[in-house]
Amino acid sequence: MTSTSPTSNPSLAKAGRYLTFSLGAESYGLPVLNVREIIRLCPITPVPRMPEHIKGVINLRGTVIAVLDLRAKFQLAAVAYSERTCIIVVQIPIPSGGRTLMGAIVDAVEEVVQLNEADIEATPNFGGSPDTQFILGLATLRGGVKTLLNIEKIFLEDGPITIPQNLMPEKGTN
Amino acid sequence: MEKKSALGNSLKAAELLAKIGEELAFVLPEQDAGLLPINRFVMDLEELAAGNVPSGWAAGLKAARGWLDQVLDGEGKFTVENICHFNEWHAYMSCVLDAGPGGEGIPPWPAAWNHNLSVPTKTSPATVPTAKAAPAADEPAIRLNLADDLEMLREFHSESVELLQNIEQGVLVLETNPADATTINSIFRAFHTFKGGAGILHLDAMRDLAHELESLLDSVRSSELRITSEIISLILAGADALTQITNAISDQLQGVNPGAAIVVPTRQIIRSAKAALRGEPTSSVTPLPPPAPATVPSQPANVQPPPAQPPATVMVAPVTQPTGRTEPEKPSKLTPSAKSPTPENEPPRERTVGNPVAGFVKLDTAKLDSLVDLVGELVIAQSMVVQNPDVQNINSLQLARHLRQLSRITTDLQRNAMSLRMVPIRGAFHKMTRLVRDLSAQQQKQVHLVFEGEETELDRNIVEKLGDPLIHMIRNSVDHGIESPAERTAQGKSPQGTIRLSASHQRGGIVIRISDDGRGLNRDRIHTKGLERGLVKAEAELSESEIFSLIFLPGFSTAEKVSDLSGRGVGMDVVRRNIENLRGKIEIQSVLGQGTTFTILLPLTLAIIDGMLVGIGSDRYIIPTLSIRESFRPRPGMVTMIQGRGEVVSVRGRQTPLLRLGHHLGRPSKAVNPEDGIIVVVESGDAARGLLVDELIGKQEVVIKSLGQTFQNQNLLAGSAVLGDGWVGLILDVDTLVKMPSHQKPTATPNTKANL
Repeated sequence: MTSTSPTSNPSLAKAGRYLTFSLGAESYGLPVLNVREIIRLCPITPVPRMPEHIKGVINLRGTVIAVLDLRAKFQLAAVAYSERTCIIVVQIPIPSGGRTLMGAIVDAVEEVVQLNEADIEATPNFGGSPDTQFILGLATLRGGVKTLLNIEKIFLEDGPITIPQNLMPEKGTN
Repeated sequence: MEKKSALGNSLKAAELLAKIGEELAFVLPEQDAGLLPINRFVMDLEELAAGNVPSGWAAGLKAARGWLDQVLDGEGKFTVENICHFNEWHAYMSCVLDAGPGGEGIPPWPAAWNHNLSVPTKTSPATVPTAKAAPAADEPAIRLNLADDLEMLREFHSESVELLQNIEQGVLVLETNPADATTINSIFRAFHTFKGGAGILHLDAMRDLAHELESLLDSVRSSELRITSEIISLILAGADALTQITNAISDQLQGVNPGAAIVVPTRQIIRSAKAALRGEPTSSVTPLPPPAPATVPSQPANVQPPPAQPPATVMVAPVTQPTGRTEPEKPSKLTPSAKSPTPENEPPRERTVGNPVAGFVKLDTAKLDSLVDLVGELVIAQSMVVQNPDVQNINSLQLARHLRQLSRITTDLQRNAMSLRMVPIRGAFHKMTRLVRDLSAQQQKQVHLVFEGEETELDRNIVEKLGDPLIHMIRNSVDHGIESPAERTAQGKSPQGTIRLSASHQRGGIVIRISDDGRGLNRDRIHTKGLERGLVKAEAELSESEIFSLIFLPGFSTAEKVSDLSGRGVGMDVVRRNIENLRGKIEIQSVLGQGTTFTILLPLTLAIIDGMLVGIGSDRYIIPTLSIRESFRPRPGMVTMIQGRGEVVSVRGRQTPLLRLGHHLGRPSKAVNPEDGIIVVVESGDAARGLLVDELIGKQEVVIKSLGQTFQNQNLLAGSAVLGDGWVGLILDVDTLVKMPSHQKPTATPNTKANL
């Protein structure tokens, strides 16, 4: 996690459609182009000797895909899985060429929204400490702030990462 | 960083370079073995390196290309000098690949190479006879060596048909869009491949023609020459001539006038191509009309093509001369079809011109794999329906009948889908014919190669990867197994040695045997040598097969080369590694003075394994059945703790280190005492290890799925599989488990509770 971020962070997020979801009180957005499907939480085969946030693998109609817990990945407190917990299956390009599918466990999926450029602002600078490379930008939508995630970077980073939490007035984890 | 992007995919490059290295190990002076694969790999490297690459890399590729073209244009054989160059080159390129972005670590450019570089391909037509105003009568004739090169000719033929199609399609594109660089490139490559193949089969006329056209296209490619309608006509004329030759080859392969000379006029095209290269206006060359039926049978001997052909136009009918004139080929036992056409080889009454091998569809293996995957899923879904408790409660004879029918169809479908990937092992076997012939001639030995069970089918991927180990072992048998005729006679054996290559189905897998009736392995010498090299301890009591398997250890055969056990720097350890990568096993039996047999056990396919499903706590894991030696419930006292070595289990007097799998994986396990669980003894190579699991659940055939990017940095798991209930089961990597030091305490990061 190198932080050589310049002083100003131009917004990397493009206007378009985003899928929003929540982890606790925080709300996040993913470019819809990355999202392959959303499935209900299903039995996960744990893979031994893997970091905490990698929950294991599931069978997605014959393809075995890795599933990670986004709360654990973001080092948030764990919560019990509920009815609304689901797995967002995303498709990301891999460095060695080709694409791969991965699943991310989130507390709840909210909606798909159309974001215009005016809705998106650049990531504020946090003095370099919590890394901003995983964030595309921030979107203000109906009074709430949604953190737009760079899901490709997040999934290709092996270890846990820190996503700034205090981007909106109400903060906290439940 | 920049280097990474520059070299495109440096991993891929490294892999190709390694393959070239493997091939180089087999290259011999005055031989052509390995030339084509090396040429192909270099071509792949060139393709990979298109764009911005470090200068050393590009120059290196250019050097290799120069030498290869020299070999291909010349006699098609390696010389001591260029083998030396290639070896230096391999080392140099490896350094370039490993070097840092600043180029540090790259050795200086060897001065000796510059000489060769100054002879670029285009100016080396010395081998192409300079065209005088030659009448058509001295058009070069092509003779096929059907007895020896049958398999290669078949391959060359099917490849040629494809290349010619590429060329033809390319020309069509060029006619509308003459500047299309991709198309020019693809035609160039097609001619280049043609040249290589024709060169190695000594089809000189074909090679020269392809060479000339390749040079022409090369100039077009490098924009030295503008493409004109004349050039396009030339390409077409050349392609037509090549088509005619290819058709004639196909006829001979099917038993029409085998061994007859094939005469297709090429001189004029070559002349025009040379003229075009110099930028002179070409004499008008008209593309040939669609080839007439390729052979003109039963012409009297010694009839040359009609000499009255006007030199300015290309002659039409290809003439194949009848058998009468050919030098009597010794009928070879190995290639029956060469001497007497077998029924299916009889001259077909009618055939489609240009495509005699009909009835096959070439398709992308990825599509095939996904079909096989989906069928696997279908079978699982089917069993989920049948086993569903709600369905089972329905009391209906009709439903039961329908379900049975569904099961039958899905099983058939699965079997069919699997068979799509299967090919007979024949091809891999027949490639050995040439090797044995060359090796025995070179060492003045008489070796008779016998095939058995060449119809045996196995997974395409396995057949492809089997080539190298087979070459190693056959070479080993000829070099070290079979004695010289004199020695054999002295021992009361027939002067001709026999190597038997057989394949058969056994135990749900394939067994391949390579046996020779040579001198056999000298058990005492192997043992002594093993002691010398510190591979075995003096006090260890080894069984015969354990001693024999010493030759598979790395470091055993890298000796100075004197001993009759050592190979040519590439040892049997490579063979074993290759076989194990295919999830197979290799065993040796040998009787001194009577011969050696290598037995290779392979799975039928790489896509499916026979697995043993074991339970640990609530988890299930799959252990490949092929790696399991035995499994049993230990009695009290069988497991003991040994200071410094951890727990061992004694089975029939042998002590095998024990690994508590649950503990090792950091997962909860029910079996606290070994007696509560089951010990599965697995082996990999020479090592074995007992794995303590809670229970054996059952044997199951599973379709292997890759675990993907997230898990690529671990070696605990070899893959995964979807089990009958739709869950994912993880396949353990036995090799890792066996080689893990036993006293090491696992630094497990216990996963939190299983999540459902």
